[in-house]
Amino acid sequence: MVLKTELCRFSGAKIYPGKGIRFVRSDSQVFLFANSKCKRYFHNRLRPAKLTWTAMYRKQHKKDIHAEAVKKRRRTTRKPYSRSIVGATLEVIQKKRTEKAEVRDAAREAALREIKERIKKTKDEKKAKKAELMAKSQKTQTKGSVPKAPKGPKLGGGGGKR
Amino acid sequence: MAQPSCNTIFSQQQQRTFIQMRTNLKVVDNSGAKRVMCIQALKGRKGARLGDTIIASVKEAQPKGKVKKGEVVYGVVVRAAMQRGRCDGSEIKFDDNAVVLVNKQGEPIGTRVFGPVPHELRKKKHVKILTLAEHIA
Repeated sequence: MVLKTELCRFSGAKIYPGKGIRFVRSDSQVFLFANSKCKRYFHNRLRPAKLTWTAMYRKQHKKDIHAEAVKKRRRTTRKPYSRSIVGATLEVIQKKRTEKAEVRDAAREAALREIKERIKKTKDEKKAKKAELMAKSQKTQTKGSVPKAPKGPKLGGGGGKR
Repeated sequence: MAQPSCNTIFSQQQQRTFIQMRTNLKVVDNSGAKRVMCIQALKGRKGARLGDTIIASVKEAQPKGKVKKGEVVYGVVVRAAMQRGRCDGSEIKFDDNAVVLVNKQGEPIGTRVFGPVPHELRKKKHVKILTLAEHIA
């Protein structure tokens, strides 16, 4: 909704645009009144807390609060959302939900072990390559190639990072 | 703050009217004057309203001020007890009648403005007064 309704300072009613009177007191306090009834009562110094039809009175005498409180409590209980998403179908989600803790841990450990093995493999390969290069350089006996070989992969690595 | 007692209920419910000749207004800037009496409302057959300019005579002034008693000055009405309609349909009214002294070009003589001041001044091109105001209602 585009229009903004304000609240009457006296009665608590909604003031729609185009209605109401705004009274600015000398101490810069602004009062909004829904109609001349509220304005008149305010100027005659009647207290809204004593007039049965105002929002202040209702709040003070606790009218209509029980219904609100009951409503709030009902909304808090929620069921676990069971619907299939793009990444995983309903069965996959349910399976994952009902998995036991031990099963999950075992799966996690297995995955970690796999990764470790993979890293080890690549390291070994690298070492083997280095050893080969060293052996080759020794055979040819050129000092230039030895410093070049370690530099080569580094440069490539530097460019790749950027 | 003086609240009206029982016997002035009638005065609170009366219809407030324009600012015309002989109307006493409060001065809310530091130009030196304290009370001012309207002698002419420029624009308006019946009288001046919120945001209008008036010609006034200084009735009461502070001893050391920019204006002296008996001087004829121009003023802009910044607070009026008579309600003024706004373009969105609502009405605004203040507690008292107050004025800010200006020169013929419309620039305020004083350097400070006290109390709330309405939006209507923007439309009337009294932007300087708005910038000096402490509260815009």
